[in-house]
Amino acid sequence: MADDIVIQGDGLRKQFTETVIAVEDAKFTIPRGSFISLVGPSGCGKSTLLRLISGLIEKTDGDLLVRNSEVVGPRSDIGMMFQKAVLLDWRTAIENVLLPDEIRGTVSPEAKKKAWDHLHLVGLQDFEFSFPRQLSGGMQQRVALARLLQTGADIMLLDEPFGALDEFTRERLNVELLKIVDDPNITTVFVTHNISEAIFLGDQVFVMTPRPGRIAAQIEIDLPKPRTIDLETTPEFQAYVQQVRDVLASHLEDQPL
Amino acid sequence: MSDIGSDGVLAGVKELSPAKKLFMHLSVFIILFGGWELGSRLGHVNELIMPAPTSIAYRLYEMFFVTGSIYWHYIITMYEAVMGFIIGVSIGMGLAISAAISPVFRRYWAPYAVVFNVTPGIAVTPFIIAWFGFGYSSKIALAALVCFFPPFINTLTGLLHIDKDATELFRSLGATKRQYFIKCQIPTATPIIIAGLKLAMTGALIGTVVAQFFSASEGVGILMQRFAFRLNMDGSFAALIVMSLMGLSLFTLMEYMDYKVIYWRRHSRMEEVSAKRKRKWTMAE
Repeated sequence: MADDIVIQGDGLRKQFTETVIAVEDAKFTIPRGSFISLVGPSGCGKSTLLRLISGLIEKTDGDLLVRNSEVVGPRSDIGMMFQKAVLLDWRTAIENVLLPDEIRGTVSPEAKKKAWDHLHLVGLQDFEFSFPRQLSGGMQQRVALARLLQTGADIMLLDEPFGALDEFTRERLNVELLKIVDDPNITTVFVTHNISEAIFLGDQVFVMTPRPGRIAAQIEIDLPKPRTIDLETTPEFQAYVQQVRDVLASHLEDQPL
Repeated sequence: MSDIGSDGVLAGVKELSPAKKLFMHLSVFIILFGGWELGSRLGHVNELIMPAPTSIAYRLYEMFFVTGSIYWHYIITMYEAVMGFIIGVSIGMGLAISAAISPVFRRYWAPYAVVFNVTPGIAVTPFIIAWFGFGYSSKIALAALVCFFPPFINTLTGLLHIDKDATELFRSLGATKRQYFIKCQIPTATPIIIAGLKLAMTGALIGTVVAQFFSASEGVGILMQRFAFRLNMDGSFAALIVMSLMGLSLFTLMEYMDYKVIYWRRHSRMEEVSAKRKRKWTMAE
């Protein structure tokens, strides 16, 4: 395995029950510093694949290596973000961001300074001491992002993080997210069922198809960076959208809805 | 700004000015008690069955300010109810925490708690008297018995119904079971635990009074019964009102605790606490 490969799967398989195979024969490599979008319809196993990488669930079969070691459970170099912000209602924004340090026993003036800076980085100056219920959905996700940054993890797994937000907020947050993770050391895996979003964000798009969940295609997205929203109207972008649609269509046509 | 959910049962009632609200309250009060008083005075209501509000009020005045006879009974009853509450809640919450932590305990022991609950607690009063005697301890024991279940079931439910994502978050951060319990489960369960404590508070008072009915030499329950046996209905009613006052004061105490502890459900409280946390943070720097 080359040094610049961070995550590697081969023949990876996750079976929940006799008939439910969430992930089947997944083979992929994820290079350091890249942004991978995992796109597919609901129930195609994309979230399961993400949870396998995170160590939250155990694989049934195959190989799954993160930095050349077998994934056996959650690890500190991997951080997660969910569709819901999952903030603790009784803690202020800054206290929520400090949670990873509290759990690891690393609370210090430096850690607090970092939490402060992370909140400002995600655009929440003046909201440090607000409680989650005082914040909008978009702001709550910003806090969740700051908390993810606070973990110091350089592998970020995001499970439809902005999926519950309105279109405008989501676009803005996507652009900001790209800026934040644009670091040669940060590897990102982003799950979504929105094709445009997947292409807009990704260096590579893994297209997944259901029953059983397979990675049907891995498409390199060769679009200029930094990316801006107007990119979506270009013919190149639309060509990628068509390409993903074709992959999904060819796998879905013989399946019931 | 109004508090979240505070309009609950009052939703749909038109908001009036304070003066008008007072007027409405007074009108209802006067119609209710004036009608009752009038009924008694005109001889439509038998004083032996239903004494007039003014005679009950006079008895209350006498008990509190002339003879002062009520205070000792009041203190004893409160003492028994509160002790029973503390013991019942400790046992209920202790069992619930054990059941939440250990699936084996939950599977094989918790069912007994349910059987225990469906058995009317009041029905075991004779056993309680037989085991604990005629003194304070039998009242405390019955109060504890009657009030133990709501904190048990609410604590257990609260601790086990944690958002799946929150559990995954804590796991992905590498939290220990202990950290998860303290930083996630307990705070998440607090609102429902306090709801259980409110029920328990009322239960404890019921248990105490019922045990006093059976056998006691002191307490508002036995006082009420003595009045009733002597057909002293206004005294009996006065004792009942004293019980309501006790219930009300204990319940208000719980409401206050709710208000203080669960700040994250009320906008005004969040603003207060937010400012407090900010001061604390700036001072630490």
